[in-house]
Amino acid sequence: MKEEQTNYIGVYQKRKGGRRIFYTKSFAPGKDVYGETTFKINNIEYREWDAHKSKLSSAMLKGISQTGIKEDSVVLYLGAASGTTVSHISDILGDKGFIFALDFAPRVVRDLVFVCEDRKNIAPILADANKPESYVKNVSQADIIYQDIAQKNQVDIFLKNCDLFLKKDGIAMLCIKARSINVAENPKKIFNEVRDELRKRIKILAYCELFPFQKDHCFFVCKKERFK
Amino acid sequence: MEKIIFTNVLGSFVFDENLRFIEKGEEKALMNKHKARESTIKQSKIILSNFKSKEYFEEFYKKNLVITKKGLKNSVKEDLLVTQTISLIKEQTRVINTLVKRLREWYEIYNPEFSKSVHDHESFVKLIIKKDKKELLKEIKIDEKNTMGADLEKRDLEPMMELAKEMEYLFKAKEKQTEYLEDLMKRTCPNVNEIAGAVIGAELINLAGSLKKLAEMPSSTIQLLGAEKALFRHMRTGAKVPKHGILIQHPLMAKTKKEIHGKVARALADKISIAAKVDYFKGKFVADKLKKMLEEKFS
Repeated sequence: MKEEQTNYIGVYQKRKGGRRIFYTKSFAPGKDVYGETTFKINNIEYREWDAHKSKLSSAMLKGISQTGIKEDSVVLYLGAASGTTVSHISDILGDKGFIFALDFAPRVVRDLVFVCEDRKNIAPILADANKPESYVKNVSQADIIYQDIAQKNQVDIFLKNCDLFLKKDGIAMLCIKARSINVAENPKKIFNEVRDELRKRIKILAYCELFPFQKDHCFFVCKKERFK
Repeated sequence: MEKIIFTNVLGSFVFDENLRFIEKGEEKALMNKHKARESTIKQSKIILSNFKSKEYFEEFYKKNLVITKKGLKNSVKEDLLVTQTISLIKEQTRVINTLVKRLREWYEIYNPEFSKSVHDHESFVKLIIKKDKKELLKEIKIDEKNTMGADLEKRDLEPMMELAKEMEYLFKAKEKQTEYLEDLMKRTCPNVNEIAGAVIGAELINLAGSLKKLAEMPSSTIQLLGAEKALFRHMRTGAKVPKHGILIQHPLMAKTKKEIHGKVARALADKISIAAKVDYFKGKFVADKLKKMLEEKFS
């Protein structure tokens, strides 16, 4: 059996009853992060990337053109939580790249620290993404920013971080949860508002909604050129 | 020529005015040597690109792991214990209810009349352990010959009684935890404890997330804590506005008429919000005055 390549670097796929399932080469073989299935091809361990648990995986299944993540990327991950998606990005990067994984809640960072101890390419940071000045000292410039936080001002936080930490022509990914911006409003309307707000300052490369994997979520891939 | 210093977890770095790297070292020594000034945010933005290289990754990893572990250790506060204890008590209540229902179901095969006559779970469990069927039937004045209950052998009774003993222990454990919670609330937030009571106060802290968050909340939010479902239903569909969340369990609510429950909840939430703010900033004990105002208003 041979692994099947996808358009995304470091991500492989297999088909199961007409559905695509992504998987990545495990960077810490023998250890699972969130109870995902693992399997071996030619004695190399691979981990399945559950689209229902990871928004990046579901966005890729919904067909965003690129994620920008390469083997030697430096990723700033805002809203890392327990490290589900982070662990797969860590798989893609291997020991060439690096991830700064940031979260605010002590409860989930506790789980994240255990993931980091097995994977030497993730640095956990306990800080508030809303205050970029507070963690300037802990991070470097990033090639890629990935943000998945459920805050009311998530677009504002995203732009602040892109301004400070993202290199020129770097890729930034934003996952929007409509319900945390306004519960009563129609999600479609919120997505359009967010898109207009983003467009003023950054170039949008791809956009998709994450239904049926996530409810009321959408996903943006942006590029930092002519950042205002 | 002006020099710029930038300090991060890796150490201190000095740059010249064109932001070219000059020297790495300790902050104080470099400050004295170069008479450098700290970088502005705009300069930091450019300086940060110097650290995006493989040689620094390992150090970033080690330093951040240490800092984060320390941060996690320091993030534990006393209100976290409150949250854990109240969650435990709630879970214990749920487990006890499920198990007692099972016990009653089981016991009613043997002695249905007695089970129906005692409504309180705790005294029911205590009584069936203490006395046998004959005595219990005598207590509720039912002739032994007229019962619907089947006669069970001793070996079939034993497992049932085993469960009853376990239940007795669970009741005791819950009582102990509640005592501990009362003590804990007196220590951590005496004002909230005085006005809301230990269990409701702890539940409010649990719903808010922490004492800090409760102190930052407006009283209108506190009034509706525990009624989130009804509130969002109202916001989405325009259904009726909820008047109170878990404050409905407060003794003052039981005393007053149903028509003014909205008012009572509003006043209660107001006083609790003041008390939470005083507790968070470790102020004096003011709850007796607040409580008096409440009692005067609704007596």
